[in-house]
Amino acid sequence: MHAKQKTWLWNAVFIGIVFALSYSVYFASQKIEYNWRWERVVPYIINTDAQEITAPGDGTVEIDERNHQLTLVVDGETTPFVVKEYTELQVSDGDLIFEGDTLATLEQWQIGPLIDGLIVTIEISIYSLVIALVLGLVIGLMRISANPMLRNMAILYIEVIRGTPLLVQIFIMYFFIGTVMDLERFTAGVIALSVFTGAYVAEIIRSGIQSIPVGQMEAARSLGMSYPKAMTFIILPQAFKRTLPPMAGQFINLIKDSSLVSVISITDLTKAGREVVSGSFAPFEVWFTVALLYRVLTSTLSWAIQRLEKRLSASD
Amino acid sequence: MTDTADNIIVTIDVEKYYNNGALHALKTVNTTVKRGEVVVIVGPSGSGKSTLLRTLNQLETIESGTIIVDGVDMYDRSTNINKLRENVGMVFQGFNLFPHKTALENVMLAPLKVAKRPLAEVTEHARELMYKVGLADRMENYPSQLSGGQMQRVAIARALAMRPDIMLFDEPTSALDPEMVGEVLDVMKSLAAEGMTMVVVTHEMGFAREVADRVLFMEEGALLVDASPDVFFDTPPHARLKQFLSKIL
Repeated sequence: MHAKQKTWLWNAVFIGIVFALSYSVYFASQKIEYNWRWERVVPYIINTDAQEITAPGDGTVEIDERNHQLTLVVDGETTPFVVKEYTELQVSDGDLIFEGDTLATLEQWQIGPLIDGLIVTIEISIYSLVIALVLGLVIGLMRISANPMLRNMAILYIEVIRGTPLLVQIFIMYFFIGTVMDLERFTAGVIALSVFTGAYVAEIIRSGIQSIPVGQMEAARSLGMSYPKAMTFIILPQAFKRTLPPMAGQFINLIKDSSLVSVISITDLTKAGREVVSGSFAPFEVWFTVALLYRVLTSTLSWAIQRLEKRLSASD
Repeated sequence: MTDTADNIIVTIDVEKYYNNGALHALKTVNTTVKRGEVVVIVGPSGSGKSTLLRTLNQLETIESGTIIVDGVDMYDRSTNINKLRENVGMVFQGFNLFPHKTALENVMLAPLKVAKRPLAEVTEHARELMYKVGLADRMENYPSQLSGGQMQRVAIARALAMRPDIMLFDEPTSALDPEMVGEVLDVMKSLAAEGMTMVVVTHEMGFAREVADRVLFMEEGALLVDASPDVFFDTPPHARLKQFLSKIL
C-alpha cells in the first residue's frame, strides 16, 4: 500500500514536469511574440484545396460532356491538350482561350511536400537498411575469418568508417566518388548511409556470433556440417536473435542519420521541411511536425522489431 | 595388431601440443579400436583423454602422427573431413543441443541438411530414435524445456541420426545431476549391446567395469594402461593407476 502510493506520487510529478515543459515552450514563444499557426502546416502535409488546371497555350476549347473530356486545340500545335479529370469546368465549348487561363478545377486530395519528403526518407532508409545488413553480414564474417587478408580488410573498413564523420563521408561519396563514377545524388546518399551503417552492423554481427558458445559450432561440425552450413543453420539464427536489440538501435540511428543526405540536395523529410519553412513562415510548427514524422518512423520500426523478438523467443 | 582390417580406429604416434609447444598434450599415443568394441578412457583431469577423443573426429588437430578411421587416413590431403565426421557421432559434456530447434528438429537437422535424405524417411527415423532414448513425449519441446538428462539423451539421438559406425562420448554424464546419470548410462548400455563401436571418456567406473571391452588409463598426455576391465580394476598393472583408483573408488 505504501509503495503503491509512492508510485502514484512520482507519476504525478512526472506528468507535472511534462506540463511545465510544455508551458515553458508556449511561454517562450509568447515572449518572442510568436503566433502559432498550425493550420498553415496542413496543406504541406495533405493539400485539400481545389487544383486549378490552366491552359498551356492559346487556342480553342472543345467540350465533350458525355465522355467527360475537355480538349484544348492549341494554335500551332498538332497534338491537342486533353483534360479528363476535373470537377468543375470554368470555360464553355468553343471559347477562345489564352495561355494561363483557368480551364477547370479539380477537387482532389494531394499529398504535400512534407509527405513527399517522408516517402523519400522511407525509400532511402529501406534501401540503406537492406544493403547495410548484407554488407554488415559479409564484413562481420570476414572480421572473424581465419584468413588474415579478409580479417584485416574488415578491420580497415570498420576503423576507417567508424573513425570519420558521416557528414564528411556523404560529401566524399557525392562529390568525389559520385563524380568519378557518375552517381546520382540519391544513389550516392544510399551508398554513403549503407557503408556507414554497415560498419556498425558488422561489429554487432561479429559480437553476436562470438556470443554463441563454441560448443554449438563443434556440435554442428561433429555432425558433418561444413563451416558455411554450420553458420547458416546453427550460429547465425541464434546470433540474429541476440543481435536484434542493438540492431534495432542501429537502424533507428540509420533513419535519423538519413536526414544528413539533405546536404547533397536530396529532398528528404529534412530538406522538405527546410523548403516548407521558407514557404509557410511557420518554422516552429514545421520543425515540430518534421520531428513528429521522424518519430512515427522510428517507433514503427522499433515496434516491428519488438514483434519479431517476441516471435523468436518461442524457444527460450 | 594381427587383424588390422577389423580395426575401425587406429592411432599411430600421435603428438599434440598446446600453447605453441609449451604443453605436450598427447605423447606418442598408439592405440586401436576394433569394430563393435567399447573402449573407455579414464584418467585425472588434464591427462589428455578428452583431447585424444576430440582428435578422433578432428575437433582437435594433431602436430604429427597418423589417425585412421574406418580405413581413411584423416590427415591425407584428399580426405573430406565433413564426410568422415558423418560416420563418427559425438556426444558432449555440455550437450550442445541447438537451442533454437525443438528436440525432434535437433535430431532431424543433420540428416536433412548434410546427408540430404528425404524428409519422410528422416522424420520416421528421428521419431524412432526419440522412442529409443525414451523421449517420445518430448519431441516438440525446446532444449530449454528439458532436464539435463533429457537433453543428453536428445544429443545421443541427434548423433545417432546420421547412422554413424562410431560414437564418441566426451564425459557425457559429468554435467548432470546425480539422479539423471542413470538414464543416460542406460541408453549408452543399450547402444553398446547393439554392437555400436564406442569410445567413452568418463569418470563412471561402474559403467567402465560393466560395459567396456577395454579400459585405457591416461596421464599427462601419455597412454599408460590398456587392459580388460577385470585386469584394470582388480590387478592394476601400473603404480600410478593403482594410486588413481585408490582415490576414486
